[in-house]
Amino acid sequence: MKPDLNELDEEIRGHMALSIKERVERGEDPEAARLAALKEFGNVLLTRDSIRRVWRHRLLDQAEALARDLRFALRSLLRAKGLTISVVVTLALGIGANAAIFSVVRSVLLSPLANRDADRLIYIRQTAQGIGTENLTFSMPEIADLKSRVTTIAAFGDFSTVDFTFIGFGRDPRLVKAGVVNGSFFEVMGLRPALGRLLNAADDGPGAAGVAVLTHRFWTTTLQSDPTVIGKTIRLGPSAATVVGVLEPSVPYPEETQIIANVVTSPHHLGATMVTDRRHRMTELFGRLAPGATLEAARAEFQSVHASIMREHPEAYSARAQVQLRVTTLRDQLASPARTILLLLLAAAAVVFVIACSNVANLILARSVRREAELALRAALGAGRGALRRTLLAESLVLCAAGAMLGLILAKPLMTVVARYAARFSVRALEATVDAGVLWLGIGLAVVAAVLLAYVPRLPSSDRPGGLGLSGGSVRMTPGTSRRLRIFATIQIACSFVLLAGAGMLVATLTALQTANTGYDMRQVLAIDVPPSASGVGGAATLNFFQEATRRIGELPGVQGVAAGMIVPWRDPSAGFKSQYAFEGYQPADGEENPTCRFRPVSPGFFAVLGVPILAGRDFTDGDRSGGELVAVVSQSVAQRLFANGDAVNRHLWRTSRGRGDSRRIVGVVADVDDENIVQRPSMAVYQPIQQMGLASRLFVRAAGDPYALGPSVTRVIREISADQAVERPTTLEDVRAQVLTPERLNAFVFSAFGGIALLIAVVGVAGVLAFSVSTRTREFGIRLALGATPSQLLTRVLKEGVVIVTAGITAGALFGYVLARVASTYLGTARLPGALPAFGAAAVLIGAAVIASLIPASRASRVNVLRALRSE
Amino acid sequence: MTKIPNDRRLDLLQGTLDMLILRTLQWGPRHGHGIGQAIRAQSDDLLRVETGSLYPALHRLVRRGWLKAEWGISEANQRAKYYRLTAAGKAQLARERDRWSQLVHAIGLIMNPETSKE
Repeated sequence: MKPDLNELDEEIRGHMALSIKERVERGEDPEAARLAALKEFGNVLLTRDSIRRVWRHRLLDQAEALARDLRFALRSLLRAKGLTISVVVTLALGIGANAAIFSVVRSVLLSPLANRDADRLIYIRQTAQGIGTENLTFSMPEIADLKSRVTTIAAFGDFSTVDFTFIGFGRDPRLVKAGVVNGSFFEVMGLRPALGRLLNAADDGPGAAGVAVLTHRFWTTTLQSDPTVIGKTIRLGPSAATVVGVLEPSVPYPEETQIIANVVTSPHHLGATMVTDRRHRMTELFGRLAPGATLEAARAEFQSVHASIMREHPEAYSARAQVQLRVTTLRDQLASPARTILLLLLAAAAVVFVIACSNVANLILARSVRREAELALRAALGAGRGALRRTLLAESLVLCAAGAMLGLILAKPLMTVVARYAARFSVRALEATVDAGVLWLGIGLAVVAAVLLAYVPRLPSSDRPGGLGLSGGSVRMTPGTSRRLRIFATIQIACSFVLLAGAGMLVATLTALQTANTGYDMRQVLAIDVPPSASGVGGAATLNFFQEATRRIGELPGVQGVAAGMIVPWRDPSAGFKSQYAFEGYQPADGEENPTCRFRPVSPGFFAVLGVPILAGRDFTDGDRSGGELVAVVSQSVAQRLFANGDAVNRHLWRTSRGRGDSRRIVGVVADVDDENIVQRPSMAVYQPIQQMGLASRLFVRAAGDPYALGPSVTRVIREISADQAVERPTTLEDVRAQVLTPERLNAFVFSAFGGIALLIAVVGVAGVLAFSVSTRTREFGIRLALGATPSQLLTRVLKEGVVIVTAGITAGALFGYVLARVASTYLGTARLPGALPAFGAAAVLIGAAVIASLIPASRASRVNVLRALRSE
Repeated sequence: MTKIPNDRRLDLLQGTLDMLILRTLQWGPRHGHGIGQAIRAQSDDLLRVETGSLYPALHRLVRRGWLKAEWGISEANQRAKYYRLTAAGKAQLARERDRWSQLVHAIGLIMNPETSKE
C-alpha cells in the first residue's frame, strides 16, 4: 500500500516525461522543454517528501516533535539546577525504595525454588493450637501410618535435626546442626548434588554405612569449596560417617544445617523411643504429589487419614491440644512468615512514593506558574493544548527518567539492606537480585510519575476568564494553583503522619519489650551452650562432667556462681519440655485435666545464679542425688493456683504419664520467671535436679565484673576436663533477649527510616509551598504593611498557614491510617492501631517540623520592603 | 499555448483540490499529469495545480480509500501511475458536490442579496 522511494521517483519521472512530450509536441526544443518541465515541477525533493509525509503515521510526527521537546526540556532544566536536583533526588528515593523492596518481595513470594517441580513438592505439618504449638512435628509411627495410607503422595521425605559435635577436616570440635533424613528425602525434594552424590534408598535403615552430605553454604564458607572433602571420614558425636557429596544451593528448610546425614549416624534415631513412641515427635515431613494428584485431593485425603489415625490412638492426641494437619506447598510455607512484613514494607514504600510524587508535583507546579507567561506565548503563537502538554510531558519525562536512573542505582544497596532484614523471616530474601524485572518496575513508576506530573499544571486556555496574561515578568498565583499546592502538601503530611505513627507504634512496642521485667538478673549472667560431648551422651558421664565443670569454673577469679541447666531463656526451643503433672491434694474440677507444666532440670544454685528469689522452702543441694529422695521445686503460679494459701512445700507431685511411683516431694517455691516469652506471663513450672534427671547441656555463670571476660577461661577449663567438648555461644541473658528482639528492633528501625524520609520530604514540601506562596504575594504583604500591619503579624499569618496545612494533613492522615489499619487487619490479622502516645508523638513532630519549616518564608514575608513591594508591579 | 497574465490566475480555495481531483476522475482513470492538465483545461486555464500540492493530495486520497492507483503505460511510452475513483470515492464526490453547492448558495446570499431574494 505504502509506496517506496523508487515508486515515487518513477511516478515523478513519468510525470516529467509526459510534460516534456507535451511541450515537444507544441514545437519546443527538446532541451528547452526538459528544462521548462523541471522548472514547472518545482522542488522534486520537497514534493517527494510531502508525499511521503502523507503516508507516514501520525505518531511518528508526534515522536519527532517529542524528541525536539525533550532536547528543549533538557536545556531548560539544566538552567534550573536546584529544582532539577531536588526533583531527581526525591524521585530516586521513591523509586529506589520501591525497586529494592519489590525485588525482595519477588524473590520471597514469587520466584521459583531450585527444587525440581516445586509446585508438586508439599510440606506437611501437625499443629496443636490448643497448647500453643505451631509445629508439633511428627513421630516415626505417625509417619509410617501416613506412608502406608496416603495414596496421593508418590514418596515421602522425612527430616529431623540433631546437634552433633563434629570432628573432622583437621578442625576444632564444633557443634553442628545436622539433618537426619531417610533415603528418599533428596528425591522428594528434587535436589541435585553440586559434587559427588546425594543420599538414596541404599543409605536407609540401621544396616547402612554412615554417610553425610555437606550443604552448599557450609562447604563454600567453612571449607572454602575444597573439592577433596569427598570421601573423607568425619566423626559425628559417637559415630563416623563418610562425606559422599555436596548439595546444590537450595533454600534450607525447616532449618539451616551444615550437614545432612543418614539415619544410621544418629543412635537416637535407631533407638526404641524414636521408632515406637507415637508421642516422640521431632521429624518434619515432605512429600511429592503422585502423578495426576492435585494439592486439593492430597489435602482431603490427608485430613481423612489423619482423622482416622487420631481415632485409633486417642492417647497420643489430647482433646485440649487440638492436633490438626496442615498441607501446603513448600513454596507457600516458605513465603508465609515473611508475607505480612513484606507487604507492609511494600505499602510503606508505596506511601513514600506517593509522598515523593506529590512533593515533586509541588515543585513542578511552582515552576509551571513561573512559566505561565512562556506557555501563554506559545499558545498565542499557535501551539495547541496537545503541543503544550507535550512540552510539559517532555520536561517531566526527562526529570523522571533521571530520577529512575538514580533510583535504580540506589536500589542495589537498598535491596541488600532490605534483604538482610527480611532474611529474618524468610531465608529466600537473600536470593534477591536487581534485574530486568526491577528495571521495568522503575521505568513503570517513572512513566506513571511523568504522566501525572505533566497533567498537574493548568494550561493557558482562552475559555477561562482572567486566564493567563501574556504580560511576562511578574508571577501571580491564581487561587486554583494555590489550592493544588496546598492539597499536595496536605497529602504529604497525611502520608508522613501514617508512617510516623506506625514507626512510633513499633518503637513503643520495642521499648516495652526491652524494658519489661523478666524476673531474671540479666546483666551479670553468661549463658553457655555445652552440648552433650563426643565422648559420652547423657547419664553418669555427663553428670560427672557438669559437676566437675561447675566446681572448677566456680573457683575462677571473678565468678560469683555457676549452675547447670537445659534451657537458656528465650534462646532454646522449650516446646518438648512440658508435661502433665498431678499434685497431691489437688483435684481438677469436672471436665478439666491436670495442669501441664514446664519441667526444667536445674542444678543446685541455679536460682541464685539467675537471680530468681526463693519464696518458700529451700534450693536443691548436692544431697539431692539419683539414689536419694526425689524432690522438686515449683514456681509461685503452681503453688498459688493449686494449693490453698500457696502452701505447696512438702506436698507431692508426679508426671501423669509415669504414675505415682515417680512421685516427688516439693521442697521449695520460687518466683515466676518466663523463659519462653520476653514479656513475662504467669508460668507453671516444675524444676527438678539434674542429678535426678541425668540431663544437662547449658552452663550459667554469674560474673562479678564483665561476663564476657570470663568466656575464654571458662572454655579453657571445660577443654581441660574434656578435650573434645564443644563450647558455644557464650552470651549474657541481656544480649540473648536483645537477639531475640532483633526482628522487632529491625521493624522499628526500618519503619523509622521510612518515616524519617517521609518527614524530610514533607517538611521540604511544606516549606517550599509557603516559600512560593510568600514570593508571589510580595505585593500583598507590602500593602498590608503600608496599611499598618506589623511585621510580627505577617510572620504569624504565614506561620498559621503552615500550621493549617499540617493540621489538615494530620487529620486526613489519622482518618486514612485508621481506614488502612482496618483494611489491613481484615487481610493480615495482625495489624494494630497505634496507641495514643505514638499518634500524638507523630503529630507533635510534624507540627514542630512544619513550624520550623515555615519560619524561613515567614520571616522573609515580615521583612518585605514596603516601597519596593508596591512598586514591583 | 498562450501565456496567461498572472493577475487572471486564481488561487484554489482551501479544501477544494480534493473535490476537483475526484471530479476529473469521474469519467475514467487518469495519471497525475493528466489530472493537472484536465483541471487547467476545464477551468479555462484559470486554475493551476502545483505538482507539489497535486501529488501529496493524490496520495492522501489513495490513503483514505477514495482513489485506487494502478501502474500503466502513458502516451509518452513510459510507466505512469493511473488513478481511478473507488466506490467510496464516488460517494465522497457526491458529498463534496452537495457541500460545495450549499456553500456557493450561502455565499451568494451574502454577496448578492438582491439577486438571490428573487
